Amino acid sequence: MSMTATLSRPERERPAIWFEALVVLGVAALLLGGVEVVAQWRQPLHQTVEIDLSARALPVYALFSLARGWIAYFFSLLFTLVVASWAFYDVRARRYILPALDVLQSVPVLGFLPGLVLALVALFPHSNTGLELSCVIMIFTGQVWNMAFSYYDSLCGVPGDYRMLGRLYGFKWWHRFLKIELPFGAQGLLYNSMVSMAGGWFFLSITEAFKLGDQDFRVPGIGSYMSVAIERGDVRAQLLGVLAMGVVILVVDRLVWWPLVVWSRKFKMDDFGSGRIDQPGWQRWLARSRAMQAATHRIGLWLAPLAAVPGPPPASVPVAATAAESSGRTARGIYYLVLAGLVGSMVWGAVELASLLMRVNLADWLDILSNTGLSFLRVLAAVGLGTLWTVPLGVWIGLNPKLSSRLQPFIQFVASFPAPMIYPWILLLVLKTGGSLQWGSVPLIMMGTQWYILFNVAAAASAIPNDIVSCAEVLRLSGWRRWRKFLLPAVFPGLVTGWITAAGGAWNATIVSEYVQIGDKLYQATGLGAYISRATNDGNFPRLAAAVLVMALVVVGINRSLWKRLQVFANERCRFLT
Amino acid sequence: MPESPITLIELRSVCHEYAAGSPENELVLSDVNLTVAERDVVVLLGPSGCGKSTLVRIMAGLIQPTRGEVMYRGIPLHGVSPGVAMVFQNFALFPWLTVRQNVLLPVGRLPAEEQEARLGKVLATVGLGAYEQAYPRELSGGMKQRVGIARALIAEPEVLCMDEPFSALDVLTAETLRNEIGRLLASPEHPLRTMVMVTHNIVEAVYFATRIVVMAAQPGRVDVVVPVDLPYPRDPDAPGFRAIVEKLHAILTRTNLPDAGEVTKVVTTEAGGTRRRIAPVSLPYVTPGEVLGLLSLLGDAEYDVFEIAERLGKEFGAIIRVVKASELLGFIETPGQEVRLTALGRELVAASTEAQREIIRGRLMQLKIFELLVRLIRVQPEHCLPDEELLRELHTALPHEKPRPLFRTLLSWGRYAGLISHDQRRHVIKLYQHEDPPPPA
Repeated sequence: MSMTATLSRPERERPAIWFEALVVLGVAALLLGGVEVVAQWRQPLHQTVEIDLSARALPVYALFSLARGWIAYFFSLLFTLVVASWAFYDVRARRYILPALDVLQSVPVLGFLPGLVLALVALFPHSNTGLELSCVIMIFTGQVWNMAFSYYDSLCGVPGDYRMLGRLYGFKWWHRFLKIELPFGAQGLLYNSMVSMAGGWFFLSITEAFKLGDQDFRVPGIGSYMSVAIERGDVRAQLLGVLAMGVVILVVDRLVWWPLVVWSRKFKMDDFGSGRIDQPGWQRWLARSRAMQAATHRIGLWLAPLAAVPGPPPASVPVAATAAESSGRTARGIYYLVLAGLVGSMVWGAVELASLLMRVNLADWLDILSNTGLSFLRVLAAVGLGTLWTVPLGVWIGLNPKLSSRLQPFIQFVASFPAPMIYPWILLLVLKTGGSLQWGSVPLIMMGTQWYILFNVAAAASAIPNDIVSCAEVLRLSGWRRWRKFLLPAVFPGLVTGWITAAGGAWNATIVSEYVQIGDKLYQATGLGAYISRATNDGNFPRLAAAVLVMALVVVGINRSLWKRLQVFANERCRFLT
Repeated sequence: MPESPITLIELRSVCHEYAAGSPENELVLSDVNLTVAERDVVVLLGPSGCGKSTLVRIMAGLIQPTRGEVMYRGIPLHGVSPGVAMVFQNFALFPWLTVRQNVLLPVGRLPAEEQEARLGKVLATVGLGAYEQAYPRELSGGMKQRVGIARALIAEPEVLCMDEPFSALDVLTAETLRNEIGRLLASPEHPLRTMVMVTHNIVEAVYFATRIVVMAAQPGRVDVVVPVDLPYPRDPDAPGFRAIVEKLHAILTRTNLPDAGEVTKVVTTEAGGTRRRIAPVSLPYVTPGEVLGLLSLLGDAEYDVFEIAERLGKEFGAIIRVVKASELLGFIETPGQEVRLTALGRELVAASTEAQREIIRGRLMQLKIFELLVRLIRVQPEHCLPDEELLRELHTALPHEKPRPLFRTLLSWGRYAGLISHDQRRHVIKLYQHEDPPPPA
């Protein structure tokens, strides 16, 4: 090829005019959508909204569900940044915050539901806001915990040199936050945000349509659309609902997460340019779009004073010092006030809980315990069966980089699809083959949780050093010996991480997997999850509280006694030498 | 010696490409022919990037070459070679197995008594007796490599392949281990006599080899084979030893550091009959900091290339790259193996930082490759050259170079000299312009 030929190649980087139009249209659509959502929230309270099963209604429902997901995510992010920073900087508070987060993480979504809904609906008796808000908070409880833990970990991981630098240049707390802490936490936070969003979708069908005693609550959204479609046995509507959910996941992934992932790579702490950043074409266009450039320039100007770093602190500032002292005093006052509020509400919650539990008799407790045993077996079976097939597949994917880049988007999609939406289909399959929900709930649980094992094992396998792989080949390790001496130990740290997440998720999933309603038929298995669902439906709050408490305790107990120890062992023994 | 030794490994016109078929393909090995006979100690010697590690992996059957044949005992090799054991630069120990379990891995199918007997013998040989129950994490680098060697020896392989076995160790530990392997080679009753070793250390090569295969880079190929006829154990201070080291110095200088005239010689190719196109000379993959460092190290003295490498404890290939770049820019001259500053080089060393940039900018603009770069930027709309465009151009203009390292090298020099700037977010290269402060109102 001659050089002049390539030089005269027409320029192809500036996007076409239709792309500019698309950008403007997108922004307009976003604004209109916002107006629509606000209108829905301000409508008079309507406990059981009529769901329109026609395809035309779906885009609006998708918009409502999306809005809830993102509002919940916004709160999750806010909570994460505040609480994790608090836990990091306040050593005294840390001792209470971390275990509290750990316990809250293992409380299933339904545990928060009755109190929240009743309180918030009472708070906003004349508009949908209360109901919508309680729905948002339930999604929030499915999103927030792992984000908080991830950000706390990255705060702990900020090297001392950078903190020292911040002190030297007299960084204020928001400089430290913007210039040091957020960049360090960005990648972990982003990854966990993606997982959280998927976790938030998982219970969509519950959070948007549920019964509390004799009260039926339903807000418009894809989840309620789906549950109505299942109730009426409308297969066409079910298919449409699944399709819409798929589109929502894909769009969010491509338009939000993917650009953020690309952008966040600049915060990687190793040297740049080691790998090529594969930006999708449309995103490069977006970056070059005139409308976009003008907008980002504006925002940049507006934010600039906030991000500007002050010079080194002046040598002596006696006046400022006293000012800081007095402001410190008020800050401490506020701090103690907040602390007192938190402790007070916790005590109140404990008293409430105790009074509820007082009404649970011994027979109920025994019933709960035996149900827990059965659910435990199901969780064990689900994690075990999931491990059996995901480990070989994960290793295979991880050791084939080409394959993994091809399969990754697909698996990610399957993993973030809310499995409960298609539970009825699978259950019908199980019933057709002569099974019952007693066994059938195991595959239902697996559908939501096994992906964590697959992801973590694949990641661990792809991190095996090349020389170790070559060495195993030269040593002619094969068959079972290859697995026992080489592959299993090599992926073990990833496997344990996958198990922890999968098992935690599996306990939560029992709630929707052991109690499935198809049309007017109700299928139940004996287990803690079904017990919780039933207690919610019956509005039997003492039983609900007892069962939720037991589940939380079991999850925390297993984490402490088994998983944490396994994790320590795996990290001590099976990490590769560096 | 009555019988002629049996040929174990034979390579016939082996070529290997990475990413074969894709536009980013890269020829790592070109037409390599080589045999390893019983009782041969073949050392592959060459600068980094000449494909010697790839070659040893091809011999072990770990990599299937793109073209050519690999025979083991006269039979075409498919998959891992049956008689080969391997020692890796970074040890490749399994951290979850004890020393004992690591070493026993290759003989897991033998009867237990046989395993024990071999284990005892091998551990005694490499001096690991007391460490049987330790985990690799608890061992020092030298001890880890002993485990690696024991694991390779216990299988009693016909050929022992070692890929830079001492490179990850500190100098003193490496010396100890080298001597011990040397003693093994010297003892007549030890079965281990066939070895293939990869190294960039000349003395190490002469210490072990019966034949030294000197390799050259871009594309990786066999340059010369030097036989070494000295008896084991060898003494690096003996005159015969020194003579071979000198000879290797000369060969490596010739292949890697041709005389000035040859380096800057313009390669012309016929294009379209009458029109001639001048292919630019690549810039070795080094940074401005490395070149300036070498220049200030030289001062008024005159050094031997290998002397510099030894003094800095660096691989000679790396030093040669810096020397080549400095010579290309006209800062040094290299009569034979010697290196000394030119007048311009002296001026550069004495200059202020700003003046240094000035001088380097002037020299860079005389290189065809920078001329090409600037021209490419100028013809772009808005003078923004996309990264991919430059990578493609580099690949077309210099098919034997690796586009990405060359790209990075050009970028680092161009930025240092204040010629170009790079926008990391939009992936484009522009000509550098000072951003003038706004005029006072």
